[in-house]
Amino acid sequence: MKLTFGAVLATTTAISGAAFAASHSDTMTIGITQNNVGVDSYQTTYEQAFIAAAEANDMVETVVLDAGGDVARQIAQMEDLIQQEVDAIIIWPTNGEAVIPAVRKASQAGIPVIVTNSNIAEQGFDFVASFSGPDNITQGSRSAEIMCDRFKDLGIDGEARVVQISGQPGYTTAIERAQGFEERLPEVCPDVTLVETQPGDWNREKSQQVMEAFLVKYDDIDGVYSGDDNMGVGALNAAKAAGRAGDITFVGATNFAVGYEAMAAGDYWGSIYQSPVDDAEAALQTAIDVLNGEEVPFLNYFDTPKITQDNMDEFTKPVF
Amino acid sequence: MAELTKSGVAGVLARQGILIAFVIFMVGFAIANQRFIAVDNVFGVIRSSAILGVMALGVTFVVIGGNLDLSVGSMMSFSTIVVLDLHDKLGPALAIPAMFALTLLLGAFIGFLVGYLKLNSLIVTLGMLSAIHGLTLTWSGGKNMDIADKSGTWFGFFGQGSVMGIPMPILMFAGLAAVLGIVLARTPFGRKVYAVGGNGTAATFSGVPRARVVFTTYLLSAFCVATAGLMQASRSMGSQNTVGQGMELEVLAAVILGGASLLGGSGTIFKTVIGVLILGFIQNGLLLVGLEFYVQYVVTWTIIILAVWLDIAAKRGRLWSPIA
Repeated sequence: MKLTFGAVLATTTAISGAAFAASHSDTMTIGITQNNVGVDSYQTTYEQAFIAAAEANDMVETVVLDAGGDVARQIAQMEDLIQQEVDAIIIWPTNGEAVIPAVRKASQAGIPVIVTNSNIAEQGFDFVASFSGPDNITQGSRSAEIMCDRFKDLGIDGEARVVQISGQPGYTTAIERAQGFEERLPEVCPDVTLVETQPGDWNREKSQQVMEAFLVKYDDIDGVYSGDDNMGVGALNAAKAAGRAGDITFVGATNFAVGYEAMAAGDYWGSIYQSPVDDAEAALQTAIDVLNGEEVPFLNYFDTPKITQDNMDEFTKPVF
Repeated sequence: MAELTKSGVAGVLARQGILIAFVIFMVGFAIANQRFIAVDNVFGVIRSSAILGVMALGVTFVVIGGNLDLSVGSMMSFSTIVVLDLHDKLGPALAIPAMFALTLLLGAFIGFLVGYLKLNSLIVTLGMLSAIHGLTLTWSGGKNMDIADKSGTWFGFFGQGSVMGIPMPILMFAGLAAVLGIVLARTPFGRKVYAVGGNGTAATFSGVPRARVVFTTYLLSAFCVATAGLMQASRSMGSQNTVGQGMELEVLAAVILGGASLLGGSGTIFKTVIGVLILGFIQNGLLLVGLEFYVQYVVTWTIIILAVWLDIAAKRGRLWSPIA
């Protein structure tokens, strides 16, 4: 069951009634407020998978909301869901800090909150029942390992120079992936230098511009780590235009269809395979487990394996 | 500065304050990193500024006509997504004119609302910013759009090709700037745009068809946006739905930086081009200097405000003004 924001406002009473009824039967009502559906294919696929998973489960009723990337709207949506007395709330934070008061309010109203995909800041952890999502720090570390292993194969791990194109500044996913990469790289490849990091804002065009500047600035670039494949392909385009793509190892995260294709074409080396379907299903399952009183780890990660040109046959091409 | 008069060198300063600011920044960055003025870097910056630049050309007409256009960013996303989607369905030869037609339709709709219904352009185009974004998402289903066979099409020519060593985006930007510059400065239509923006009531009483002129400025703006969308799609051969998000403000900044008045009635295409280049070179220059990126936001806008101040100061002949 998918409801738009406006429809939810108009039918608040009706749904509160449903939630009230729910507490007397065995079905549970789970509300979700998402970050920004439609801004990219990952979030779009996530929403579709979430709705499909909820529909397949007779025990679950959902109220599906989308904040459209707007913090204020997300806080209002949290308050609406609290008013509706849903049994649990899943939130995909638009901002890791600003939503904390709303999360606290839900928690104080006795509604367990499950954070999905990107965690909120640590000072809000007391009010969160569980976080379901990818481990971005591990993803960053794994990207560093992919990069390092490739350099070793090429025999340049003693002198390689790497640039990093990170995600949107201030966004937890961006910060954690960069952190994982920056911490792991010197452990596995101590002689590889990370020469510069600039943000590509999750945007392919922006990333292409950043890479163009890097190519002008540095004559010797052996590897590019991008916070996701969308930006990675932007960087690849820039390197191709400059005729230097062949000298560079491209490693990303969140394998996109374009990244997968570029890997198949031999232009792009590796990434981290993260399925929005797994992400959505894990969030819903976590919420159900919490409501059933089961023991759920606070950081409930789903696995996101390494994918490179060598093992890509084991994975289906991402749908986004 | 306080002693500037409108004669000789001082007169040039007053008229070309923004140009001088531009030269100062260029010299500054070149000293900080000499690769800044390397030919391939300069070409690279102009090429990536070209998309923003083409959009700014159209918005210059709208602004001189006394209106605003905040919808260009999301309209550019629309054009990009539509042309990429139609490319695989109809082939490039049909996809491009179809995309132009659809984008012009959006421009005509805005032009009708602002020109003929006399609705406030800020509200109309702010509304259209969201409405067109929704339209784009509906069209694509929220998914990224990519050309399936990237090597088997000539579609990449507009974004990646070059003629006689000059990249196509630069040629298209320069060509369009030249044509629109002449239209604005040398044709009766151009004079009418200034007249409508300078004093709409007086223009109406002088027999200038105000509604039609405003309508046409929005058509021109939509045409420029469609061209920008084509360049964008052709450059990356794939796109997310939010590719143009936020560009409306950068476009407006470039136009205002070039000295066009938000109140309408003044501005030129040449100065808009300078405004666009300042924005592009600042961003590139800060990257090459290697400034911490959180600081870049602050520095970028400090420089822009500084440039606007220099421009105004040169015009009025003193650095500050006791009267507003």
